[in-house]
Amino acid sequence: MLRLLARRARAQWPLLAALLAVAMVGPTLLGTCALLLTRTADRALEAAASQAAADRVDVTAFTVTVRGPDARSVADDTRGVLTSALSPFAVTTAARASSVMRWLPRPARATARGAGQATGSGGSGVPTETYLSAVEDLTARARLTAGRWPRAGTAGAGAAPPASPMEAVVLEPTARLLGLTPGSRVHLGAELSGEHAEGLDVIVVGVVRPLPGAGWERDPLAAAGFDLAYHDGRSVQPVHAYGPFIVDLADLLAGGSTVDRLEITAHPDLSAPTTRDLEAVAVAVLGADRRLAHVLGDRIQIERVASQLPSTLIAAHDQQRVTAAAVLTVAVLGVALTATALALAGRLTAGVRAEETALLSSLGVGRGQFAVTATVEAGALAVLATAVAVPASSALHAALTHLPPLAGAGLAARPAVTGVQVLAVACGALGLAALLVALSVRPASTGGDRRHRRELLARSGADLLLVAFAAVGWWQLRDQPTGSGSPADTVRVLAPALLLTAGSALALRPVWPTLRGADRLARRARGLVLPLAAFEAARRPQAIAAGLLIALACAAVTFGIGFDATWQRSQHDQADLSVGTDLALTLTAPPDAGQGAAVAAATGGAVSPATSRGIAVGQWLGAAGDAPRLVAVDTARAEDLLRGRLTDGRGWTDLGASLAPSTGVTGVPVPAGAALTLTGTATGAIPLTVTPRLMFQDATGLRTSCAGTPVPLDGRAHPLPTCATAAGLRLVAVSLPFAADTGQGNVGFGYSDSLEGGPGPFGASRVAVTLTVPGAPASAVSAPGSPWTATSVAPAPGQLAGPAVTLSGGPSGVRLKMTTGVELKGPPDAARTLVATAFPVPGPVPVAVSSRFAGQVGARPGSRLSLTVGLTAVPVRVTEVVPTVPSAPGAAAILADLDALSRALVVAGDLSFPVDAWWVGHPTRADAAARATALHLGPVITRASETARLSAGPLRAGLPAALRLLGPAAALLLLAGVLLHVTFDLRSRAIEVARLRGLGMTRREVRAVLLGQHVGILLPLLAAGAAVGGLATRVVAPLLVRSDTGAAPVPAALPVWPWTTEAVALALLLAACTLAVTLVIVVQARRVDAAHLRVTS
Amino acid sequence: MSAAPSTEPNAGPLLSVRGVHRSFGAGPSAVHALRDVSFDLAPGTMAALIGRSGSGKTTLLNVIGGLDRPDSGTVLVDGTDVTALDEDGLSRLRRDRVAYVFQTFGLIPVLSAAENVGAPLRLARVPAAERERRVELLLELVGLADHARQRPGELSGGQQQRVAIARALAASPRLLIADEPTGQLDAETGLSVMALLRGVVESEGVTALVSTHDPTMVALADRVIRIADGRLEGQLGEQAGGQDVT
Repeated sequence: MLRLLARRARAQWPLLAALLAVAMVGPTLLGTCALLLTRTADRALEAAASQAAADRVDVTAFTVTVRGPDARSVADDTRGVLTSALSPFAVTTAARASSVMRWLPRPARATARGAGQATGSGGSGVPTETYLSAVEDLTARARLTAGRWPRAGTAGAGAAPPASPMEAVVLEPTARLLGLTPGSRVHLGAELSGEHAEGLDVIVVGVVRPLPGAGWERDPLAAAGFDLAYHDGRSVQPVHAYGPFIVDLADLLAGGSTVDRLEITAHPDLSAPTTRDLEAVAVAVLGADRRLAHVLGDRIQIERVASQLPSTLIAAHDQQRVTAAAVLTVAVLGVALTATALALAGRLTAGVRAEETALLSSLGVGRGQFAVTATVEAGALAVLATAVAVPASSALHAALTHLPPLAGAGLAARPAVTGVQVLAVACGALGLAALLVALSVRPASTGGDRRHRRELLARSGADLLLVAFAAVGWWQLRDQPTGSGSPADTVRVLAPALLLTAGSALALRPVWPTLRGADRLARRARGLVLPLAAFEAARRPQAIAAGLLIALACAAVTFGIGFDATWQRSQHDQADLSVGTDLALTLTAPPDAGQGAAVAAATGGAVSPATSRGIAVGQWLGAAGDAPRLVAVDTARAEDLLRGRLTDGRGWTDLGASLAPSTGVTGVPVPAGAALTLTGTATGAIPLTVTPRLMFQDATGLRTSCAGTPVPLDGRAHPLPTCATAAGLRLVAVSLPFAADTGQGNVGFGYSDSLEGGPGPFGASRVAVTLTVPGAPASAVSAPGSPWTATSVAPAPGQLAGPAVTLSGGPSGVRLKMTTGVELKGPPDAARTLVATAFPVPGPVPVAVSSRFAGQVGARPGSRLSLTVGLTAVPVRVTEVVPTVPSAPGAAAILADLDALSRALVVAGDLSFPVDAWWVGHPTRADAAARATALHLGPVITRASETARLSAGPLRAGLPAALRLLGPAAALLLLAGVLLHVTFDLRSRAIEVARLRGLGMTRREVRAVLLGQHVGILLPLLAAGAAVGGLATRVVAPLLVRSDTGAAPVPAALPVWPWTTEAVALALLLAACTLAVTLVIVVQARRVDAAHLRVTS
Repeated sequence: MSAAPSTEPNAGPLLSVRGVHRSFGAGPSAVHALRDVSFDLAPGTMAALIGRSGSGKTTLLNVIGGLDRPDSGTVLVDGTDVTALDEDGLSRLRRDRVAYVFQTFGLIPVLSAAENVGAPLRLARVPAAERERRVELLLELVGLADHARQRPGELSGGQQQRVAIARALAASPRLLIADEPTGQLDAETGLSVMALLRGVVESEGVTALVSTHDPTMVALADRVIRIADGRLEGQLGEQAGGQDVT
């Protein structure tokens, strides 16, 4: 038998070579996909980790209330735990610590009156406090504006007070308010903690200015340098807080001060990570909190280890899984195509060997012996296919990684062989060999039309069964969960191959009637060439495998292109909606006035402050831990600022206009550096003070507020702090909370015993407060815009009677005069705050809500809700339900106009401006993102960068790369199938060709007949395949697209059928097939002519 | 390439074979299939070519029909030197003047009987109506008018051969070459086919050269040409043009 096999192999080597070529494609594709799923996936994880932002991989340990003597050991042990958790990666750590508050006995210039002494009271009688801080790498986080940096080594050890004053630097506002300069020596009082550490002296050696983006937002006073309404938690009354006094970390830890907060951040060096190390570190980080608690014991009150590293790796694995499912989809499709091609080749081989088989059968060779022979031959083919496919897949994989998008994602790799790859190739080759064996041992057909009819009947059953399976697959695909999860992956992997195969099998049905129609038309023709081609195409028993292969391959090619386009489009849509605008700069610290101008200068385009934060809606805090999101932006410029697909191709303009206030805010222009003064009078017996808070607006719509110190309403003009720190500001609101001045500090009416027991009448007091804005043009008084409005703030707004505001201009500037009657008796929690605004009192804020929000809350247009923004309740009215809200895809979210929202907050007495980011629409500078990043205001994200991350990031690039494998592989198999089919067809019909020559047909006519026949069959098959591909793109592709978390994409994917690309691909397929057919026909027709008749007849 | 031979009919013999040699292989192992064969056939003659297997009958028919080229000698069909024709010229010859009937019938399997018969007419671009009339006539002539729509696979061997004869006659050839047309038929069917051939030769005025082992065919022929070992051994009936046969 082996001798027979060897001889047959020598005689039929072209046939076996063709079988080997076809059998090689599938395993090669499998091997390449295996490498994508293993080697590239691992590399992608490593690349993603190495490219991850620091905050995504940093590990931070927070410890609270560390006793002075323990501070150093706690810091050391904490570093040790973090370093151990991140082993084997090299780690750099950065510590930030601040002490508990201490009394600040004598602020130099903190207030206008008096000075507190041992109790730490300022001139106003309000307690004053301060604290120490230490920041590692201070020189990189702040800029020295005067003096020098503090030196270490001046502190004592343990709880003992330092032998000499610690060197410290202070922030500019602190220095200004306390009158500190380099060389100032300051005594800090005792600690306000249970430890009661003694006071200590520090010597100021420098003044610094914090740099943006350097973590100062985690300073207790957010690096403002002071807070005149600081709540230290010891009393409901606010205190004045100044600081910090920034000393060296070693000094702070050794100085005996109780450390209120110690924060150590460890940054691992992930420049060359391995997947195994990353997994190990993720586990270690998850256990670091418990380990730290165990190590620190009772030396601290609270400890916590926080890191996004584990969640970053989990998210990376999610993305890997989504990508892997798509790669496997391509692999399954490729194997299905190869199996079909091999089925065709096997059938043709059996046809070629039919006589040999019949002869051997007549000589007594049984089916078992045939099976053994076929198994040996197929096994040899499988071994050869494996031997070729392993290096071929390695080379193909390496080539693929050097092309976009894998190359762009930093995933270029050299050719290499892995165990998984060899296993995948071998399994694929063996599976295909098994198919060949099955075809070889199939009972020999008897031929004739009866067999043909039986085949058709069987095929009818098979294709209908396939369709039934495909319908189930599609149903499963359609009903897959919208969230992430692995059960749906299997469906996503198998469904496309099943649907395309079923569709192609079904699409073969109308092909034959089409050809029969051509047959009927051809009968009426006069000549022979084309009619005979049509007759041959329509009447010759069709090779189902060939037809299925052609249709399926064409369907795979067109579906691959369509799915790729659909996926790419969805990534764009997801990126658009995820970012919400063209460029978003998320602020790490509250913005300064005039910051918008800097952003605008850096980026160009439409710049707007924006809010994007979690809020509470009434008592509802959201579902499953996801707080409802509030997104607010200048919706009057929605078309410029908002991105993301709305339904029915609708833009954001109309929606934005419906949310924006009908009129803008004009306000009073305030020259930069203007010295505003406040003058007030009160008629009552109780002296009153007011702590004014002013709100300014810059050209970008950013509003900043500025708080003054308490001002007595004594008829004198009091200067206010320099609030107008930037040019182009306009005063848009003033808040005047009135308080009784008892001589013991400003106190609220309800809390003052002196009011209840003190002398004099406690009736109403008529107050008049005038705010003078020098340098403001008198024309501002008559400028068009909303008139100023005065209102009394809840609770108990009736405690202010007849609030009013008037605007007048003169040589000294513009004067804003606010009058009201203050009722001194009444509810203790009454606000007694007058707010004057440059806009009318707004009603409920109009908002649009996402459909998810509407579903969860039960809201609909017209619903009225109450949002809690900060600590202030804001009434809103739902005007529209939209599918989703920009920057909050798929979330329960609310979209509002930031101006309208701010107005509602202001009239509620809250002059804070809820801004979290800058949004830029249509940035005009090409390097806008880089310039915005260079501002160090916070992380910058753009639609383009997000699209690139989603579509070409290391963890995502495998999908388009695999899809781009599918087309060439399918085209290759299609060509191979066509070549095999045409070759064998012509060989088997050599005598028929000779008869045509015998009838007098020229070679050209014979070629025309054969070409017409085969192209005539190819055309409807390709059309059927394209139709199946198109249908699959429309029906299946959107269901296959998932977000980077594995959940359903938001917005939902829309099918994309790139007509031009598809037409070009089809034209190329047709041209390649026609060329292949022509070559075979020319060669075969040259070999076969009428001379054959002299032998065969 | 040939030198544009004349294709005009003349008044002489329809077929004239002169000094045809054909051998296969070279050297001592060469097989001489035809050795100096010469004879003529007058128009309207039905000649039977007889001889044992391997005597050279099929080779001679192939050379006459242009399926093979002689090593030397000439073959004139209706005045046209077949040996001088190129591929296209041979195609035109087979299309217009020479028709074959093979032992294996040579029908196109995907075409019906009528379409097989009509194929030469389509090649000649005969208008559809005229083609259909002619096909109908020929099928009636061969007694298969009721089987016009059947394909070769649905017909018996005799019926297929009748279709082959009808197709051979479709384009009104001047010379009909039949290579053992009854070789695969039983005696009774073979006889009917022979009778048909005899009849169509008379009715269509065609010249036929039929190789056969069938004595009945020999009896129906106007002439009998015997060939043995590549040489003509003798003739019965008309005198072979220009050659004495011994």
